[in-house]
Amino acid sequence: MTGFAGDLRAPALPGFPRPRPRPRELGLLVAVVVALAVGSLSLGLERTGRLEPADLPALALFAGGLLTAHGVLVLAGRRVDEILLPAAAFLGGIGLLVMERLPQDLLVQEVGPWTLGLGSLQLAWLGVALAVATAIAVALRSDRWLRLYKYTWAAGGLALLALTFVFGSEVNGSRLTLQVGPIGGQPSELLKVILVIFFAAYLAENRALLADLRVRLVGAITVPPLPYLAPIGAMLTLALGIVVVQRDLGAALLFYAVFLGLLFLATGRRTDVALGLVLFAAGFGLLALLFPHVQGRIAVWLDPWADPLGDGYQLIQALHAFARGGLVGTGLGAGLPEIGGRPPIPAVHTDFPLAAIGEELGMTGVAAVLAAYLVIVGRGLRIAAAARDDFRALLAAGLSLVVGVQAAIIAGGNLKLIPLTGITLPFVSYGGSSLLANAIVVGMLLALSDRGAAPLAPPRPPRLARLRRSPGGPS
Amino acid sequence: MDAGLNLALWVLRFAFLALLWIALALMARALLRDVRAASRDPAASLGRLVVVASSGQPAPGAVFALDAVTTLGRDLGSSVVVDDPYASAEHAVLTFRGRAWYVEDLRSTNGTQVNGAPVVGVTTLAYGDEIRIGDVRLRLERGRG
Amino acid sequence: MTAGRPPAERTWALAVVLVLAFGILAAGSSYWQVIRADELASSPTDAAVLAAARTVVRGKILDRDGRTLASSRRTADGTPYRVYADPALSHPVGYASALYGSAGLERAYTAALTGAPDGDPLTRFFAKFLPPADRRSDLQTSLSLPLQRLAVRLLGDDRGAVVMLDPRSGEVLVLASTPAFDASAIADPATATATFDALREDGASPLLDRAVLGRYVPGSAFKIVTAIAGLGSGSVSRETRFVEQPASEEDGLLVSGYRVRDGHHPFTGTTALDLVEATEVSCNIWYALAGLRTGGANLDTFARRLGFGSALPFDLPTAPSQLTNGGGPLPGGFLDDVELASAAYGQGEVLTTPLQMALVAAAVANGGELMEPRLVTALVDQGGRRTPIDPRSMGRILDASANTVLVEAMTRAVEGTSGRLFTGGARVPGILTAGKSGTAEIGGGGEPHSWFIGFAPADAPTVAIAVVVEGGGRGGTRAAPLAGRMLRAYLEAQP
Repeated sequence: MTGFAGDLRAPALPGFPRPRPRPRELGLLVAVVVALAVGSLSLGLERTGRLEPADLPALALFAGGLLTAHGVLVLAGRRVDEILLPAAAFLGGIGLLVMERLPQDLLVQEVGPWTLGLGSLQLAWLGVALAVATAIAVALRSDRWLRLYKYTWAAGGLALLALTFVFGSEVNGSRLTLQVGPIGGQPSELLKVILVIFFAAYLAENRALLADLRVRLVGAITVPPLPYLAPIGAMLTLALGIVVVQRDLGAALLFYAVFLGLLFLATGRRTDVALGLVLFAAGFGLLALLFPHVQGRIAVWLDPWADPLGDGYQLIQALHAFARGGLVGTGLGAGLPEIGGRPPIPAVHTDFPLAAIGEELGMTGVAAVLAAYLVIVGRGLRIAAAARDDFRALLAAGLSLVVGVQAAIIAGGNLKLIPLTGITLPFVSYGGSSLLANAIVVGMLLALSDRGAAPLAPPRPPRLARLRRSPGGPS
Repeated sequence: MDAGLNLALWVLRFAFLALLWIALALMARALLRDVRAASRDPAASLGRLVVVASSGQPAPGAVFALDAVTTLGRDLGSSVVVDDPYASAEHAVLTFRGRAWYVEDLRSTNGTQVNGAPVVGVTTLAYGDEIRIGDVRLRLERGRG
Repeated sequence: MTAGRPPAERTWALAVVLVLAFGILAAGSSYWQVIRADELASSPTDAAVLAAARTVVRGKILDRDGRTLASSRRTADGTPYRVYADPALSHPVGYASALYGSAGLERAYTAALTGAPDGDPLTRFFAKFLPPADRRSDLQTSLSLPLQRLAVRLLGDDRGAVVMLDPRSGEVLVLASTPAFDASAIADPATATATFDALREDGASPLLDRAVLGRYVPGSAFKIVTAIAGLGSGSVSRETRFVEQPASEEDGLLVSGYRVRDGHHPFTGTTALDLVEATEVSCNIWYALAGLRTGGANLDTFARRLGFGSALPFDLPTAPSQLTNGGGPLPGGFLDDVELASAAYGQGEVLTTPLQMALVAAAVANGGELMEPRLVTALVDQGGRRTPIDPRSMGRILDASANTVLVEAMTRAVEGTSGRLFTGGARVPGILTAGKSGTAEIGGGGEPHSWFIGFAPADAPTVAIAVVVEGGGRGGTRAAPLAGRMLRAYLEAQP
């Protein structure tokens, strides 16, 4: 295959990039930073009784990082989306406040001469995430290497998963983490991005075939032709299989949901989605029958009070936290009454940050967080809708879905709407790999939203010519 | 805890929640404004490609809004599908960089021409120039908005 | 171009789906943060409530006359701990200990006693914004300290329970269970561990509140339930007589190959008994036949109305009473006619708690309407303001005219010429007393449980009672006289 659509390699930019101001983004970032500053003040006042931010250096660094990212985008002069970065900063900032509010010794790591606690670690990861997102937004020009080498991507992703399966360290019964020296990460987070790239590329390429060359299944129900369904089906099955064996059920649900969404976008056939849902129900039923682990999760979801001191404890504590929060919450730093010096919800910084937000910021805060995710998804889908290229459209849609569906899955688990899974709340939960993966998503969305430099206005005709033209004529 | 401190705490807490929602409202407003602008003026774009002459697809007189990157060719995944027997699957790509338009021939079988001259590699394109792929002639024009 | 529109245009559908999903999430959030919020946030297992309980001085618990049943003191270093007026009240009042958690009313009303914001949602909402005030409440209970003491004293070394309540309002005056224990010893940090360990090891299970959690075979006391079901469903009436009953008295009644025996009343001779007479002499055969005629479905329905089959609505956790183990093919879950017949006179697989049987007596005493039992009648805040908790009805069990038949039957069972031979000990001098004794045969050859349920005065009841003495022998031996003493003590104390 020769170099194809979307290849931006050819024309080199004349001279240096021309900086363009991004006033809307600046305004939104300022609004977000001001809100976070007031939040930090309320936390500080609660803690110390004095009117000062809870952690001024952290606040300053975060604001500085955001402005730097903004500055880089301004200098790069590309017309990329101006709402995504503030929305992500909104969520990241709330996450940072939550991590600052929790006892700092929940997680401690030695980095060189410093000992960093929970809040500082989250800030560090946020900084790295910002840098990654900005770098991708500015540097990602050609999507050729995404689109063309999709099988390479897929293989790489699976290899990463397999590595984790073999060499990973076990945490809470699932092998999800790979340790490289002092840094541990969850490759399944990265895999979700790789899978989206693969799905988008494959579906874009074979869209017409999948949609038109149908095979009659039964009655009026048709399915895509099997030879064309096979590669993507195989990839999906492999990915699902590995995560299921690793007991990362949240990831499995996420991959499948994103796949269905992209399939619908590509073929437009509602029957495909319906069939997909039926398959999902069947598969889930099978899983429930085969794995006692899954049955246990479902039992806890249905009635956590059946085992209030064992399996149900975490969820019950989370629900109590939501209840204590009420409409406006107890205030940052004033909730989460400690049990034995620890927050009442186990693993609140990774599994249940939404419950902490629910208790301290109330339903108002929870709704704000949910709305922020909708903003990101909305922008992402808008970028997809504006794309003229199938691959770019599917890629943008897939990336938006990855963020939105993941948030929905974990929020649903926190609120006892669906069984709890172990995935993170994007941008809010503690977790370096999660922040990085979502930063890559935001960076790619920004890159995909590039509308190039604005065209110059047509040159004004010289004075004399304008005088001679009849009034009311075209200008 | 004295009442003054309590009051200050709650003022700050409410202010925090209010500011969060104000930031969200601003984002939502920007989002909606953008959507409305797009739907009001769907042809707003960097440039347009007008079909001057063609043997079949695309129909003569058709106008395509251009994005920063526009692909031309017989392949159905192209931004502008040129269904001409002399067109290759991936024939050419039109890009907007910096402040100018560029056209590149993607090593097509029968080549691309701009205003009659064959395109070798990358060539700049100005508004009003005509691209020829097979029997199809397309003219680059300014976008609206 | 085939394949319809490009994917870009279908993003609207995806956007709608995601908005719907997040809408459901928001609804879920409002469910836990608004709808179920009060219930969860004031539950005794809530982390905030527990945290408050550890440091806050709890409110007092008072008996119906204002006597202090539970109060707080401080140790030398300032930590509060609880003291209780009398071990007789340890079961209903409970204990609150830093080490061993809480039980009884101390546990159930942790939120009110420690001052976790309570009351209607609006008050709680605004209370958040005010500086933390002393929101502790004292509990005003319906218990009577002297009567409770008397009940425990009368039970003595026997294991058993006494439940006494006002049938007009459901207020529980006595909720006694023996063996009792000393709650103060558990709450006092100095003696807590030793006391609790000893109590746990004690084979007599002193920590078990037999009044609400003890399930016993009720024996003939259960016949009242059968009568309720029979009269309420119209299967039997006051005049119902069974021709085969007198003849079967000698050898017993054959029911599907099993003999139902009677033994108490050879003096009734060959007269077929009606409902009142059968109750007076506690005729098993009459009741077996009445039970078969009423049928398992009716028995189950009326028993459920009385509260059987589930935990009772009460301030303390209760064990459900049952008619049968269930799973049988007959209506109501009975295995066969034999089980139904046995259940009708209180044997078979019937298991009841003393509180449940007291409710049976209370229903009859209150003209056929059952009031919800309760211990706490009001919450009093630190400023002296009372928030009363109003009585609630559990429903009408029997219409008034059918109920008068039962009142007559139960009065005869205590006061009638034959009745007083069995249950005379329950009589209160000068006041018409009504009731039914029970002798619950338990397998294994031990002494039967001695039961009595009843109310007084029979013409205008103000108090109902249930007494069970484990292994106490016949109903008339222990339970009836004990009940009589309790009723007398209560009625004599009334103005």
